[in-house]
Amino acid sequence: MFTNTLFLLSAVLTLGGAAAVVYTKNLMHSCVYLLASLFGVAGLYACIGADFLAATQLVVYAGGVVILMLFAVMLTGGSGNNINRYGLEKITAMGNTKTFFMAGLTAVVTSLVILKILASVFKSHSATVLTANEATVDKLGTLLATDHILAFEISSVLLLGALVGAAVISRPRKEKHD
Amino acid sequence: MNSTVVTYLAQSNEYSAVVAWLTKLIGFNANSLVAFMVFAVASLVVVGALATIGGLGTYAERKISADLQMRQGPNRVGPYGILQFLADGVKMILKEDIIPANADKFTFILAPFLCMVGVFATLAVVPFSSGFMLADLNVGIFYLVGMASLVGVGVFLGGYSSNSKWSMLGGMRGASQIISYEIPATITIVSIVLLAGGLSIKTLINGQGGLPQQWYLFHNPFAFIGFFVYFIAALAETNRAPFDLPEAESELVSGYHTEYSGMRFGLFALAEYIEVFVVSGVAVALFLGGYKVPFDLGTGAIFVEKLGLDAMIAKNIGQVLELGSFFTKTFALYYVVIWVRWTLPRLRVDQLMTLCWKYLTPIAIFNLLGCAVWMYAFDGKSIYSIIFESAAVVAGHH
Repeated sequence: MFTNTLFLLSAVLTLGGAAAVVYTKNLMHSCVYLLASLFGVAGLYACIGADFLAATQLVVYAGGVVILMLFAVMLTGGSGNNINRYGLEKITAMGNTKTFFMAGLTAVVTSLVILKILASVFKSHSATVLTANEATVDKLGTLLATDHILAFEISSVLLLGALVGAAVISRPRKEKHD
Repeated sequence: MNSTVVTYLAQSNEYSAVVAWLTKLIGFNANSLVAFMVFAVASLVVVGALATIGGLGTYAERKISADLQMRQGPNRVGPYGILQFLADGVKMILKEDIIPANADKFTFILAPFLCMVGVFATLAVVPFSSGFMLADLNVGIFYLVGMASLVGVGVFLGGYSSNSKWSMLGGMRGASQIISYEIPATITIVSIVLLAGGLSIKTLINGQGGLPQQWYLFHNPFAFIGFFVYFIAALAETNRAPFDLPEAESELVSGYHTEYSGMRFGLFALAEYIEVFVVSGVAVALFLGGYKVPFDLGTGAIFVEKLGLDAMIAKNIGQVLELGSFFTKTFALYYVVIWVRWTLPRLRVDQLMTLCWKYLTPIAIFNLLGCAVWMYAFDGKSIYSIIFESAAVVAGHH
């Protein structure tokens, strides 16, 4: 009962947020809707008992990524004037009814084909039993430090590269006086 | 089941009596219903109490600043002016709610609520006492860090949507400051998690005792430094002086909430004061023994043994003692926060970033490594127990 309610709320939040991200014309607003959608995803993680993953989702996305996106959008000048000097809208619509219809049809057909392929996998997969409040942190930590140490190291090298790159880009260039 | 306010109350006979009575009355198992009602009431109590504490925080701030500057402070409304915050609240509610014409209305309205939600969501895991906490999540402290980061989004959106240069600068400073100082704070929290061996707030507190030498503050030198790192980072995260650049009065009028009036401004202010309480509470739970009372008085076992009290009454007395312990320490830290605000001058932006990235973050990482080495080298013993054990060995007691 409680898990179902939580799942429904999270699913509505995720899908509604995602739809709003796409449909809103203001880039800033779509960042805010993205925040709602990411919260919904955190709720979905919580539904399946992945408490650590849910909290990580909050810390990384709500705290870091969304603020950085907001910063980036703000520095590009926002979408305050999307009318050019001839009075025409700079941002044209992405398509018309015909293209939307074709795209929707294609998406439905493709997803049906994929679902047909995946159906056997889902059917054989037994439903995971949700054990109440079992800590996942220790298991995750053990797995990360033993079986998946390579992935862990690769991602840390990637992050180090990003850090060095950011430092190199943002460093003031020395003027050569000779 | 994790221990919450419901599991605590479920130990009493009255609780099961109420459940049985309701089950008979409505015809199905009323266990979840009663649990839900208890949770609802407890949440209301926590939110109401914390809103009052936030309100009284503004009063305390004004009274303490007046003390430090040899003034009187508010002294008209009620005895010693203690009802001033109610008068302020009424004023804010009655004020006209202005939304600037060129403001981005959607985000302008949303921003104060994001701040409020971020702060109030953290209250779910604040450990008031061993029996009175709303939820003891497995990832409690991590959840708290994640929820508190919503405040940064609120601050930034508030600054951006006002469409004013002062607000914009304040919001940008606020957001960059909050995400920067989250790093030393979180790394310091991780070093304490290392000592306790768990992310649940109850695990963190149970690793400590009631007496100061059992606190993580005095567990080892690294934790001792870590406390100050965390406290400084927490000051910066809550935008308190000397890190109140986002609302620097002398340069930015009032920073990110310049354009806000009435209760929307009130929500920002309330969120700030409650967040100060929350981070003080977290510092208490991590370093200062949390709700622990010396000599295990909190469990109430000694009252049953010596005074012959009923077990549940003894437990309740223990809970009250624990609440007293937690609130005393937290308010002491709250006082220090206000005291610091009215003592130190404000930092510049570059000094702020230098302090975070060149000093606090390396120190925090060093502390993390130090704690890990300490746990490995001394088998997780605190410095106090090491000294006294060696003293016992020298004295010949084995």
